[in-house]
Amino acid sequence: MKLMLIPRNVCVAILVAYRAVISPLYGDVCRYYPSCSRYAMEAIQQHGVVRGIWFGTRRILRCHPWAAGGVDDIPEPRRRFETTRAGFVLARKEQ
Amino acid sequence: MDIFALLMWPIKWVIEAILVGFHFLITSLGGDPGSGLTWVLSIVGLVLVIRSAMIPLTVRQILSSRKSLEVQPEIQRIQKKYKGKKDQFSREAMQRETMEAYKKAGTNPFASCLPLLVQMPIFLGLVQVLTDANQQKPGVGLLTLELAVKFSESTLFGVVPLHETMQGGFEIGSLPVIITAITMTLIMCATQFYTQLQIMSKNQTPAMKESPMYKQQRILLYIIPVFLLVSAWLFPLGTMFYWLVSNVYTAVQQLIIINNLPTPGSEAALAREARMARKRQRMGLPAVEGADDEAAAQAEIETKTQRQQPRSKKPKSERE
Repeated sequence: MKLMLIPRNVCVAILVAYRAVISPLYGDVCRYYPSCSRYAMEAIQQHGVVRGIWFGTRRILRCHPWAAGGVDDIPEPRRRFETTRAGFVLARKEQ
Repeated sequence: MDIFALLMWPIKWVIEAILVGFHFLITSLGGDPGSGLTWVLSIVGLVLVIRSAMIPLTVRQILSSRKSLEVQPEIQRIQKKYKGKKDQFSREAMQRETMEAYKKAGTNPFASCLPLLVQMPIFLGLVQVLTDANQQKPGVGLLTLELAVKFSESTLFGVVPLHETMQGGFEIGSLPVIITAITMTLIMCATQFYTQLQIMSKNQTPAMKESPMYKQQRILLYIIPVFLLVSAWLFPLGTMFYWLVSNVYTAVQQLIIINNLPTPGSEAALAREARMARKRQRMGLPAVEGADDEAAAQAEIETKTQRQQPRSKKPKSERE
């Protein structure tokens, strides 16, 4: 179980770094809530790397100056994984 | 040809066409085709063309944020509801409600990251075009071998080769190259710092300033110049000129936006209102246009978000 979570936690680490260092450079620009990087992170946490990146890419393509914006959450998984405060996925499902 | 090169091909073609076009124009106006100055001016022209092509995107965004002024009472109501609540869940709920309110009104003050994303492949394309030209290789389109050789051999004022980097300048110990590179880095840092500071201190509402993002931005303000210094060390002067002119363009554009079309509710907007009021006073008109309307709108915002607890009419001593 733990080994299965390594790829998604590597991706989470990259996204955490991106959100801490690069994202603030241009401030709040996303037309959606949660922002694209947060959406991609949640999608990878809950759906795994392959499906997560697919969802994240589609979201970035949806986010353009002509989009209406608004609240747009990730597709709800059957059962959510628990995550740490920083965003790393634990080998436990939420109760 | 790999897939990446295939994707970059049209971008590089357009960049070359614009560069060569400007080079031809400047040469026919009497510029020396082999001089660095001609090439620098061509790069300036490239920046102007690319950034001007993006003006519609910018204008659209400004108009959209103007329109979000109409939603302002609703936004202020939400902000009031969550005032002083700084825990993560309240902040999230507040942002959700704010976004919903914008969506309902059919407007959105945010630009999305597209305007930034489109600039990245363009910069990458320019780096590739200039690198090829520096190695005296012909480009994909109009940049012929003859022009590439001319570019790679061109120098600014006869002493600063455009293909040189700051690193190279130190290696060959060329003082003019070092001085030019350092001057350019300083101007770049200054414009970047100024633009960012202007956006942060003047064009953000008090609510934006409360978000954790704002604090991160403040820290980064002092880290960016370090990043710039590292990239200046590695990139050739020709590429740096593109970056520099682009930065100056952004700074000027930002100045115009902040002075004329500031974010509603920000410090810059208040300053603009004050300016307009002074102007009206000079012209002998009442200080504020439609003052009554504004007062009414203010009263509406003051509506209570929480029910007032009923109070007994009896004095305390008589209560049971």
